[in-house]
Amino acid sequence: MRRIFNFNSSNLLRVIFVIAVFILLFISSISYKHNRDTHESSQLLLHTFEINIELERLISSIKDAEIGQNGYIITHNERYLTPYEFSRDKVNRSFVELNKLTAERKGQQKNLKQLFLLINKRYQCLEEALKYSNSDSYNKEKLENALQRGRVLMANIRAQVDNMKEREKQFLQERQANYDNEISLTPLFTVSVFLVALILIILSYRQISKDIERLKITNKKLLISTKLMDEAEMIGNFSTWQWDLQQDKIHYSDNQFRLLGFSPDAFVPERGTFLNFVHPDDKETLVNSMQTIKEQKKLPLIYYRIVRQDGSIRHFKSIGKLLVENEENAHIILGISFDVTDEYEQNIELSQRNKELEISNQELASFNHVASHDLQEPLRKIQTFISRFSEDDKKAISVRGREYFEKIDASSKRMRVLIDDLLLFSRTNTTKKEVVKANLNDLFQNAKTELNEVITEKKAEINSEKLPKLNVIPYQIEQLFINLIGNSLKYSLDNLAPIIHIGCVKVLSKNYPDVLNQNVKKYYKITFQDNGMGFDPQFKHSIFVLFKRLHSKNDYPGTGIGLAICKKIVDNHNGFITADSNPGEGAVFTVFLPE
Amino acid sequence: MQKDALHILLADDDEDDRLFFKDAFDDIKVQTKVDFVHDGLQLMEHLNQPDVVLPDVLFLDLNMPKKTGKECLIEIKKTPHLRDLIIAIYSTSSSDEDIEDTFVQGANIYIKKPSDFNTLKKLINEVITLNWHYHTSGLNRDNFLLSLK
Repeated sequence: MRRIFNFNSSNLLRVIFVIAVFILLFISSISYKHNRDTHESSQLLLHTFEINIELERLISSIKDAEIGQNGYIITHNERYLTPYEFSRDKVNRSFVELNKLTAERKGQQKNLKQLFLLINKRYQCLEEALKYSNSDSYNKEKLENALQRGRVLMANIRAQVDNMKEREKQFLQERQANYDNEISLTPLFTVSVFLVALILIILSYRQISKDIERLKITNKKLLISTKLMDEAEMIGNFSTWQWDLQQDKIHYSDNQFRLLGFSPDAFVPERGTFLNFVHPDDKETLVNSMQTIKEQKKLPLIYYRIVRQDGSIRHFKSIGKLLVENEENAHIILGISFDVTDEYEQNIELSQRNKELEISNQELASFNHVASHDLQEPLRKIQTFISRFSEDDKKAISVRGREYFEKIDASSKRMRVLIDDLLLFSRTNTTKKEVVKANLNDLFQNAKTELNEVITEKKAEINSEKLPKLNVIPYQIEQLFINLIGNSLKYSLDNLAPIIHIGCVKVLSKNYPDVLNQNVKKYYKITFQDNGMGFDPQFKHSIFVLFKRLHSKNDYPGTGIGLAICKKIVDNHNGFITADSNPGEGAVFTVFLPE
Repeated sequence: MQKDALHILLADDDEDDRLFFKDAFDDIKVQTKVDFVHDGLQLMEHLNQPDVVLPDVLFLDLNMPKKTGKECLIEIKKTPHLRDLIIAIYSTSSSDEDIEDTFVQGANIYIKKPSDFNTLKKLINEVITLNWHYHTSGLNRDNFLLSLK
């Protein structure tokens, strides 16, 4: 996201910069044109001025000729003819000059030609006047006539010159007007363009400073992140490396050196360098992995060993990935290496312990089984021998002896129950657990049948809500029912017929976060409620402990194994069992079984 | 069936058990001839004698030295002239595993050694008066283990 934003920003700057350059070029071209126009205009003024002077000079030359002629006519002194003769040359020079000056002025050339004709005529008149004033050819009438024509011509010349001057003035005015028009627009335009350029430059300056600010922040973040990474690598016992496949350059993070037993940047890593540290037995794996990196541009997880300088062996785990910035040009492999020696050793220790535990567990189970089995043998014999004692045999011994004999009988019976229960308990643990879908209603009926004798004897009333079909180990669930119902029957009140109600509802595990596995969503909650003597709630946990009894065995026969078996069975089904009661208020045993 | 004396063979290493067994047979009113062997090896030797008179019922203990009852059972069922021998397993164990194994191997009935002499007599009486033909044809896992009604 940020990368895209930065990209836009630099593009914007580029556009602003280009616009600014164009504006500057534009401004300089305008000012150049402006300068040139000014120059042209002054040039033009000068030109007009020159034409005017030349015209005046022309007039004055003719006037000189006229004055000279007049002087000669009056005095007949040859001296007065000199200016007249000079004036002709002057007029010609002025004329040539004017011809040059008006070369680019269309109307003026035409005017000049007319002027030239008039001036020629004027000189003819002068010639005639001189001729008729001469004593040789004096002719008063013709002289007067020539002088008269000369005056008219002179007036015409003057008019023509004035005309030309006027034309020139007009021309100048036109140009001036044009020029004024042009430069009246220019300053406003230039200033506004300049302002735009200024704004653009300010904008880009702001953008640049913003970018720099952001760059600073990013840089700071990067610095922090780099430091953090370094710290993390040290604490986490891992390192990072980069391999530029195109330039075949390898870069290690500081911790990579440390993991190899060096100080950071102790050497310049090359492709083969790393292999020097690899355990001889793992070199082949590493060489293959490097080949994989080059061919497939990735490094799947590998495990290998490193031999440090001091000879200690460390277990490493490495994984690498291609850095993809743009699709075509991805050639840098980023890798992580972990020093997993501690975990490796812990794992070995753990699996060792696990094995030991498994063995000891097996021994325990088989010991339990064998012990209770082998204990049965002598006990069975004791009981059989006792059963062989006839009434006559009993009469033959003393009363005290008979009493002892009865106690031996009772003890052996109790031992029988203990061993049977212990066997049952060990079997809940060790026998194969075949899970099948079973109807719990059927299992409940089986349990009731099993307990039929006691139920009849105690006139007990047992009812159950509809129970579900579940994936269970059937004989164990049946045993669970027998034990729980049997327990309720045993601890019933003397003067009250036992009523046992079995309830069943489906519940969500999230409503029982303390006791149920939250990965299983739904459980069946099966409750066994009785109206018996109940128990002190402080024993609600201990009653499930093996051999734990709340009553003396003289009051209530039992081994303290029954509820332990219940707990074991429920555990086998990944369920949970609890007991709640208050003395004299009956007890509730609750079994949660996963759906 | 009870033409002469019923011939019974008990293979059991326990002296006391053999004594109970003998006393129980002495007490019941059926004419029987009871022989004993002390271990599995002796049992197989006895059965493999060329002039052997095979017992009507073989009571076989499982936990015996030298050769266990289960090994004997497998060997007997493999031997052609012994294959039809009626075998009653007679053991202290009542583990599902033992019952299942011997049932699969072809024993005819399973008796758990009782801890009361009268019960023993009743069980033995039940076994020797059983109609074997009828029992064997309807044999299943449920009636394999003998229990008194």
